[in-house]
Amino acid sequence: MVTENNPLVALSNAMADAVERASAFTVLVDARRRIPASGIAYAANLVLTADHIIEREDEIQVLLPDGSQVSAILVGRDSGNDLALLRLKKPGLVPAEPAAHPARVGQLAIAVGRPSSEGIQASLGVVSAIGGPARTGQGGLLEQYLRTDTVPYPGFSGGPLIDSSGRVLGLNTSGLAQGVALTIPAALAWKIAGVLAEHGSVRRGYLGIRSQPVDLAAQQRKALSREQNVGLLLVHVEDESPAAKGGLLVGDILVGLNGEPVSDPDQLLARLVGEIVGKPAPVEILRGGQRQTIPVTIGERK
Amino acid sequence: MIELTTSLAEATSNVVRRVQRSLVVLHNGRQGVGAGIIWSNNNPNKHSGRTLILTNYHVIAHGRRLRAELEDGAEYPARLLAQAPEFDLALLEIDKGDLPAALIADSRSLRVGELVLAIGHPWGQRSAVTAGLVSGLSTAQTRDPDQSIEIIRSDVRLAPGSSGGPLINANGAVVGINTMILGGDQGIAVPSHVASAFVERALKGH
Repeated sequence: MVTENNPLVALSNAMADAVERASAFTVLVDARRRIPASGIAYAANLVLTADHIIEREDEIQVLLPDGSQVSAILVGRDSGNDLALLRLKKPGLVPAEPAAHPARVGQLAIAVGRPSSEGIQASLGVVSAIGGPARTGQGGLLEQYLRTDTVPYPGFSGGPLIDSSGRVLGLNTSGLAQGVALTIPAALAWKIAGVLAEHGSVRRGYLGIRSQPVDLAAQQRKALSREQNVGLLLVHVEDESPAAKGGLLVGDILVGLNGEPVSDPDQLLARLVGEIVGKPAPVEILRGGQRQTIPVTIGERK
Repeated sequence: MIELTTSLAEATSNVVRRVQRSLVVLHNGRQGVGAGIIWSNNNPNKHSGRTLILTNYHVIAHGRRLRAELEDGAEYPARLLAQAPEFDLALLEIDKGDLPAALIADSRSLRVGELVLAIGHPWGQRSAVTAGLVSGLSTAQTRDPDQSIEIIRSDVRLAPGSSGGPLINANGAVVGINTMILGGDQGIAVPSHVASAFVERALKGH
């Protein structure tokens, strides 16, 4: 037998250990007519899951890893990113731990789900690609997503994608892109969960501009003193909008928001989500060839 | 890291090589082939010079002139010793001794997430290997509504011709018999402890 110092056995044990660890924070969420789906323990009494599997807001049942069944209420949902947060009527969960580092292409990954009371299920693969931002079928904008070659078995939506140590790389869902399975990276999912826990919904910011991407001339790039070749030329500023009140003008080239570079409209939308809403944020522009930063109080899109 | 991946690759090919020697091709007088495993290199009830081969019932059902083809290409007529359609298992015997039997693991200690390899003849491709993990451990109902059977779900890719071949663990020991493909992307295997019990019952009956 090939047992001694067989690294394949070590790998196999590590994989089974990782699934066992994930099993402790992966729950079954029963909130639709078809087969149930999965969820991730976010806190002792909070479950993060996919929004599209919540078909009814009352009588949501959660099956915990220890086999007990607890009813849950909907805390908040963000259909744009296909995420929902549930609160258990009584706590009893071991919260999941997000991976310390973002996922890398080629990294070993295991999709885990609890689609039935028969126990945990898993599927092996690698992180195939990292993409985004992308507009979702629900009119949202996903800042970043992971693709893997794991098999998305029925009921896996809402469950975790884990690394070889059992930490969460992201939340799996087939509800964002016409049934194609994607994974929402853990950092993004946790950020949205935090917002849902606090506000019940994700606030989306509003500037009141129309823009188009333009290539930056050599002199403009020099004024920025960083590697950025494209900015957003403002072609319209709505009257009385946050942008107008802040003093943005048609002809300005928007190149950054809140200290982060912006070079396409999707990126701008992604940066206008969450905590930034309602607060003055530094908007970085090029005006007359000069770099300027103007504080604009971001409005809320209704 | 290069060292780790190299030693993983070496260990995988050693494990696969070990099991490939215990794999046979089963011809049932019709089109297509199935896989079988050299389960035991002697039938304790008979004199030596015989070998027991385990496969799926559906591989040999309705077949005439069963033949087992060994790794070196030699073919032997196979006799059906016992069958269990409810578990989709069949036990065959050939008149040839000294063949390498597969290692059999106790599938009762399997864990979800364990690495597994499937070896068979998908689409007739001899001794092809696919890798994955144990996706789930559950039970399924047999055709008898009062009877259920334990099953291993795995995400290894299977195809016609994989049937009857072994699902092995990282040690190269058989944990199940690959039996069915669900929805194209989930393999169902009969656990080795169920297969062992079937073989034991079959040999007592003879």
